Amino acid sequence: MSGPTVSNMASGHTPARRRKHAPGHGAQMRFVAIALTPIMLLFFTFAFLPIGMSIFLSFFRYSPLDMNSPFIDVRNYTFAFTKDPAFIASIGNTLKYVVIAAPLNIVLTLPIALALNQIKRFKAFFRAVYFMPAIASLVAVVLIWRYLLDPQAGLINGALALFHIQGHAWLGEPEYALYAMIVLSVWQDMGYNVIVFLAGLQTIPDTFYEAAMVDGANSWQRFRYITLPLLSRTTMFVFVLTTISYMQVFVPMAVMTQGGPLNSTRTIVLHIWNQAFQYLKMGYASALSVILLVMLLGITLIQLRLLRTNWEY
Amino acid sequence: MAATAPLARRISISTILLYLVLSLGAIVMLAPLLQMILTSFKTSGEALRVPPKLLPDNPTWNAYHTVLTEAPFGLWFRNSVIVSVSVTALILFTSSLAGYIFAKFKFPGRDLLFTLLLGTLMVPFPVVLIPTYLIVNNLHLLNTLFALIVPSTVSAFGVFLMRQFIAAIPDDLIDAARLDGASEFGIYWQLIRPQLGPAMGALGIFTFLASWNDYLWPLIVINDQDRMTLPLALAFFNSSHATRYDLVMAAAVLIIMPVIAAFLLFQRQFINALVLSGMKG
Repeated sequence: MSGPTVSNMASGHTPARRRKHAPGHGAQMRFVAIALTPIMLLFFTFAFLPIGMSIFLSFFRYSPLDMNSPFIDVRNYTFAFTKDPAFIASIGNTLKYVVIAAPLNIVLTLPIALALNQIKRFKAFFRAVYFMPAIASLVAVVLIWRYLLDPQAGLINGALALFHIQGHAWLGEPEYALYAMIVLSVWQDMGYNVIVFLAGLQTIPDTFYEAAMVDGANSWQRFRYITLPLLSRTTMFVFVLTTISYMQVFVPMAVMTQGGPLNSTRTIVLHIWNQAFQYLKMGYASALSVILLVMLLGITLIQLRLLRTNWEY
Repeated sequence: MAATAPLARRISISTILLYLVLSLGAIVMLAPLLQMILTSFKTSGEALRVPPKLLPDNPTWNAYHTVLTEAPFGLWFRNSVIVSVSVTALILFTSSLAGYIFAKFKFPGRDLLFTLLLGTLMVPFPVVLIPTYLIVNNLHLLNTLFALIVPSTVSAFGVFLMRQFIAAIPDDLIDAARLDGASEFGIYWQLIRPQLGPAMGALGIFTFLASWNDYLWPLIVINDQDRMTLPLALAFFNSSHATRYDLVMAAAVLIIMPVIAAFLLFQRQFINALVLSGMKG
């Protein structure tokens, strides 16, 4: 009786029952299922579902106050572009803000990073100083600037008065308010890009510069033909990220001007927030969100393409 | 010798210029923060004086005293700490666990799921503001601290970062632990997690800062003054004391200084975190 059993054990499993997976596979799959399911459920609820809902809601006249929310196909979209001048103004303001602030940011941060990369003493000190505003709460920064920009008690007008220059109510006049926001935004998050540029600069091997010096290249030539090309990926990355982040600007306007004066600082996100949470027109505001998303994706694609063709080395 | 002397002088002149420009820039960066600190020691009258004066005549703690006694500042601080610490701890846990699974396990649908996760990185938060509000409302979390924590328990960027980091850990190490009879969760907790120090530090700092400084989401889901976090409370405080620059600046100091102190202590980690977080977007 013991013979067959022994031979069974010796031959192991019959071919039909041969394992397809390594031992322990079942335990591993159980672990994956148990650990990943709750995490993916959270992603579903707070990442995938909201994206779908945004698009879905944009085709309805939906307000939490209304009992019925009719399907109105693309009328939220046509309304946004034809009957909502404040939204059109918000697109204009946002683009103006981005087109000035993003290049300004890079024109200031790249030279600062280059300078920081050159010096040996106090490097950590200067880096910390330039970086400090970037970690401060943006609301606090905005309030500091509101004080600096105050028409009477503000330091900026006070300093201008020393040179007998007439100051302005920077936040109260439509021709200046957006520029004031640009200045404070760039001041606040310059440090971040300085750090990224500095990290990029540190990846360029010293031997490149040494070889160029041997060949007699001056400092401008070394910058133009070594630093700039080798930094092109970092620059592209910084430019795209800065643009995307500036396209969503909200806090300075929400805290200081609520979009005024005369809608001159109304931005897209401010208008979305305004429509959704002050007027409770959530279907309409969803359509505006989708428009913002399409704009962001479009701008990213265009930038990546343009910069890639210009800077392919 | 004759050739090196002028060269050395030229270098030192350009170095002096560099330091000069950097110092001017540093003054521009520091002046507003300094102005905030100086104003917080002024009286309300001094803060509004025309023309403005830099230094307080008689430095006083009155503004701090008023902020800390007339506003529930301690409560706001506590709310901010609860929210930011919970969000950071949860995101570190979920990101490292999911990152480990995506890096080291093969299962059906893995690549599709991961691609979908990466896709959500293209969608910035303001775009999904309204649905997220409706979902949180449906879960009956509005106007509670949970509204600030629950939607931020997972991060696609965190999973991505951790997966990159964990992929570099050799498989042999994990297989050896399995042969030794370690449980699958035990391998994650005792073998993988302790090796993630730098990545955890970076993601932790980045997450904490984003949560600590967030304004838009609390603005939408929190109404009660007692449940506000610091940035929202500061804006609220400002709206009721708009002309009391002394008080507003003292409150701003109280919000900014803990973060700046932490930054000065852990500079290297902060900078690494921000460089890594650049991948977000």
